[in-house]
Amino acid sequence: MMIDENYIDKDILFIVNSEIRLQILTELKNEPQTVRELVDRTNMAYSSVSNNLSKLEYKNHVIKEDRIYTINPMTRIYFDQIMEFKKSIDVVQNFNNFWYKHDITYININLIEDITKLYKSKLIETNPIDIYKTHNNIKKNLEKSRNVKGILPYIHPEYPKLMEKILKSNGKIELIMEKSIYRGLISQIDEKVKRQAKKEGRLKIHVLKENLEIYLLICDNKMNLGLFKNDGSYDQNRILTSDTHESINWANSLFDTIKEKVI
Amino acid sequence: MAAKNMNETREFKNVKYLLTSSMRTLILVVLYNNNKTLNEIRDELQKPSATILHGLKELEENNLIKKDKKEYSLTSNGYLLSTNIIKLINNWYSIETHKDFWNSHDLSGIPEEYLNKLYLLKDAELVSSTTSDLSNAFNTYIQLLRTSASIKMILPIYSENHFKYIIKLLKSDSIQHLTILINKKILRTMRKSRYLKKTILKNRKVTVLDMDRNPKIFLTYSEEFMTLTLFFKDKHYDDSQMIVDRSENSIRWAKGLFNYYMEDSNDRQ
Repeated sequence: MMIDENYIDKDILFIVNSEIRLQILTELKNEPQTVRELVDRTNMAYSSVSNNLSKLEYKNHVIKEDRIYTINPMTRIYFDQIMEFKKSIDVVQNFNNFWYKHDITYININLIEDITKLYKSKLIETNPIDIYKTHNNIKKNLEKSRNVKGILPYIHPEYPKLMEKILKSNGKIELIMEKSIYRGLISQIDEKVKRQAKKEGRLKIHVLKENLEIYLLICDNKMNLGLFKNDGSYDQNRILTSDTHESINWANSLFDTIKEKVI
Repeated sequence: MAAKNMNETREFKNVKYLLTSSMRTLILVVLYNNNKTLNEIRDELQKPSATILHGLKELEENNLIKKDKKEYSLTSNGYLLSTNIIKLINNWYSIETHKDFWNSHDLSGIPEEYLNKLYLLKDAELVSSTTSDLSNAFNTYIQLLRTSASIKMILPIYSENHFKYIIKLLKSDSIQHLTILINKKILRTMRKSRYLKKTILKNRKVTVLDMDRNPKIFLTYSEEFMTLTLFFKDKHYDDSQMIVDRSENSIRWAKGLFNYYMEDSNDRQ
C-alpha cells in the first residue's frame, strides 16, 4: 500500500489533533446540544468549548441552529471510524499482556480488522495465590455447556471427564487437535458414550498431523482464547474470555477459518 | 470532577499518538508487509535518518516495533495496530474517493457497523448517468446481472423497469437463483399484479423474503460483483449513481449487510 504524508485529510487531522474537539464530537454524537449543555456534561472550560465549537462550525464539522449544535452527517461517519479505531487501540492496550510477545499468526487479517469485537472481553490471568485461575474458569464453562467447539493444542487432565459429561447429557462437541493429543483425550472417554455420540453426529474430531499453536474454546455462549508465546510454548497463564454476541461470532469465524485451512 | 475530566480527555491520547505524527504512522505502515533495515526505511520514506531514528526509538519504547540485528519489524501489538491504522486510512480513502456520492445520499440504511467498514469498498467505482446517457447506471446494472447465475438483493423500490429485465434474465436461465429481500408493503403491491406473481413471486428460481423494515438501500451482490444505489436525502430514489465493486472484500461487505437485514426477515422459503 502506498501512502504518503497526506494520508490523513487536513480536515480530519484537525479533529484528531485536539482531544477537546474529539470530546465535543463524542457528546454531539449522542445528541445535539447547546454550548451550556456541553460545558455541563464535559466539565470543560466554557471558553475552550465555545472556542473549539466555533472552529468546528467554521470547518463545517458541526451545524448551529437556534443555539443548538449538531454534528455534520459526513463528519459523523469520519468520527465514528475514529472511535472504532480508538476501540481497536483499547483492545490492544487493555490486554497488552495477552498480545505482547505472543504469536498471532493464526488470527487472519479479517479477524484483526474486526478486533473491536473483543472489546468487552476479560483477561483472566493466573497469580501466585491462584495458579489454576485460567483452568478453573474454563472448567466452569465446560461444566455448564452443552455445545462445545474447540481448537486444543494441549489437554488438561480434567478435560476427558468434562467432555464425557457433556456427551452423556446429549451435548455436542467439535474439536480440532493433533494426533497424540487426540489419542490422550479419546482413550479416556467411555467407549459406549463415544460411539453413541459419534453415531448421532454429536462428536466430531478433526485430527491433524501437526500441532496448532492457538487455543480456542467456544462453550455455549462464551469464548475463550489462548495464545502461544513467541518462544513456541503455550501460555497457560492467560485466557481472553467474553460472552458478547459479537465476540462469539468472532470466535466462530476464527474456528471456521482455521478448520478450512487445516482440513 | 476535574480529575474525571482529565481522564476523559486523556482517553484520546493514543488516537492522537498514532495518527498525528506522520513519522510514527508511516513507519508502522512501511513495516506492515516486511521487516526492514534503517536504510530500506529511509529509502522508502525519503526522510533524514535522524528523523526516522527518532520515530523508531519511540515506537520501540512503546513495544510496537522491535529490532533484531539490523532489521526492524512489528511486534504482535504493532501488527494489530498497523492493521487497524491501514483499515482506518482505507476507510477514509473509500469515502474521500466518492465523497459526493456519500454526502448527497441518505445513509440511514447502512448501519454504523457497515459505515465503519467502508474500507472494504476502497476499489469501488462510481457509475453515473450523464446528460447524454440518462440510463448509463441502469444499463450497467443490467449488464452486471447478466454475469451471475446466483444473485441476492435488497430491493427497496417497486420498479417495473427493474422487474422487466429480471424476468427476462430468469426466463433465459441467465439467472438461476435469485433471493430478494423486500419490505412487506412493496411485496403487497407486487402481489396485486398477477403477472409479477407468476413470473417472480412464484418462480421456483426465486426466494422472496419479506421484512417489516424499509431500509433505504438498493444492494445487489453475487460471487462476481456488488452494486449499491441509494436514496437522496429528500427520500427520492436515485437511479443515476451506482457504486460498483468486483473485489472479494466488497462482496464480503455486501453479504454481511444483506445478512444483517435477512436476520430480521420473516422467512418464507
